[in-house]
Amino acid sequence: MQKRVGIEAMNLYGGIASLDVLALCRHRGLDMPRFENLLMEEKTVALPYEDPVSFAVNAARPLIDQLSLEELARVEMVITCTESGIDFGKSLSTYLHPLLNLPSNCRLFEVKQACYSGTVGVQMAVNFLLGQTSPGAKVLVVTTDISRFALADPNAIQEWAYSEPSSGAGAVAMLLSDTPHIFAIDTGAYGNHAFEVMDTCRPGPDTEAGDADLSLMAYLDCCDGAFKDYARRVEGADFRKTFDYLSFHTPFGGMVRGAHRHLMRKLFKADPDEIDADFEHRLRPSLAYGKRMGNSAGGSLYVALAGTINTTPPLTDPVRIGLFSYGSGCCSEFFSGTVTPDGQKRLQNMNISGALERRYPLSIEQYEALLLGDQVVRFGTKDAKLDCDIIPEVWPQSADGKWLFLDAVEGYHRKYKWA
Amino acid sequence: MDSQAISDVLIKMIRRTVPELTDHPISRDDAMADLGVDSIERSEIIIATLETIGLEVPMVQLHGPKNIGELADRIHAKQTP
Repeated sequence: MQKRVGIEAMNLYGGIASLDVLALCRHRGLDMPRFENLLMEEKTVALPYEDPVSFAVNAARPLIDQLSLEELARVEMVITCTESGIDFGKSLSTYLHPLLNLPSNCRLFEVKQACYSGTVGVQMAVNFLLGQTSPGAKVLVVTTDISRFALADPNAIQEWAYSEPSSGAGAVAMLLSDTPHIFAIDTGAYGNHAFEVMDTCRPGPDTEAGDADLSLMAYLDCCDGAFKDYARRVEGADFRKTFDYLSFHTPFGGMVRGAHRHLMRKLFKADPDEIDADFEHRLRPSLAYGKRMGNSAGGSLYVALAGTINTTPPLTDPVRIGLFSYGSGCCSEFFSGTVTPDGQKRLQNMNISGALERRYPLSIEQYEALLLGDQVVRFGTKDAKLDCDIIPEVWPQSADGKWLFLDAVEGYHRKYKWA
Repeated sequence: MDSQAISDVLIKMIRRTVPELTDHPISRDDAMADLGVDSIERSEIIIATLETIGLEVPMVQLHGPKNIGELADRIHAKQTP
């Protein structure tokens, strides 16, 4: 019998502050006559004293706290997945290691491929576990991405204007093992589609550039191509019947709806009513958290997966979920797995929506003050001391010493504190 | 199908996808973005047009045209073996 591996435990961190996206679009004078079709509501905004490390640790700590000492000792690999790195050489995973009290016999590294990075991390973990090189080991995979825009540079504003409303921030921590309580991966069931394209990129530490049309086209081509490759490998795979639910990488919900419509037309010539009903049933739950965090890049697919698991009606039987991961540049993957009623209860216990509810809703004025960016620690900063009072109302009130923030940078070394 | 006929299909699909443009004059010189058609709608219009004329081609190969006429020319070029 094929060994079962997958996600044992999972948590999502969506920051401490949010912004109303429609208000932002109005403020920017963006003409979006059918805004509701884009399926965006809010986005997470990172404060200057939050960075990809603090996001990652805040996502992972609740998982680590649940482990016994024996279990903690089996975390033998930490993979950080990001396009928001803070150093060309030192990976974020090395910062996570002491902050999460992980054992020293641990493999630490980071992977990058735009929004596909989380799936790279998950598949590397899955293959390490299936390989049985260290039976019983656990792998901590953490996606962490922050979009920081800088108002200070007028040329850059033109570059990132297209992505400002949809770009958010977030981290997803996943513990993978041979006891996949949350999500068991269908072993060997996957398909890839990749080609070189310059659709979106991060050419500098604090800017994003891209072409929304080209990115959408590449995403659609990949969705089609990756599923075809999946169907080539998996006998009898049927996009309409094999998966009870679907979760896609979500730059914004409208793009997911477009890709779903594209596939349903192409594969089945389905009529619009059937397509809409299918989207509402199989994909709508996946948007539950992403529409409030914005695009969290490397973790966006896993934010969608968490939404699917947590917000579908209570499960009575195991269900199969089809996943589509896409990262600009570009590489993509269609794969699948199953979740049980127990898995759904376990993930619901993480109270993800409660944490999103507690975020402070920033005004446009507060958001723009943050964009001016004189408080932000830029890439390559040698020394800095962060101001926790930049917007006093945002500071979390009841974290009980379990919430991490960036306190200072000393000789390039980032120093964190618990609050 | 010649480029003129392809642009006629494109314009028909624009009107079907964005009902607000039903009575709006649309020509080959118009750009969909200028007509208020958003990026998701633009992709749907292209997909519906390709389906109508029975052409399978990667979407990224249709990126770049500045207006409906240029897009029709590009689709026409892809169609010719």
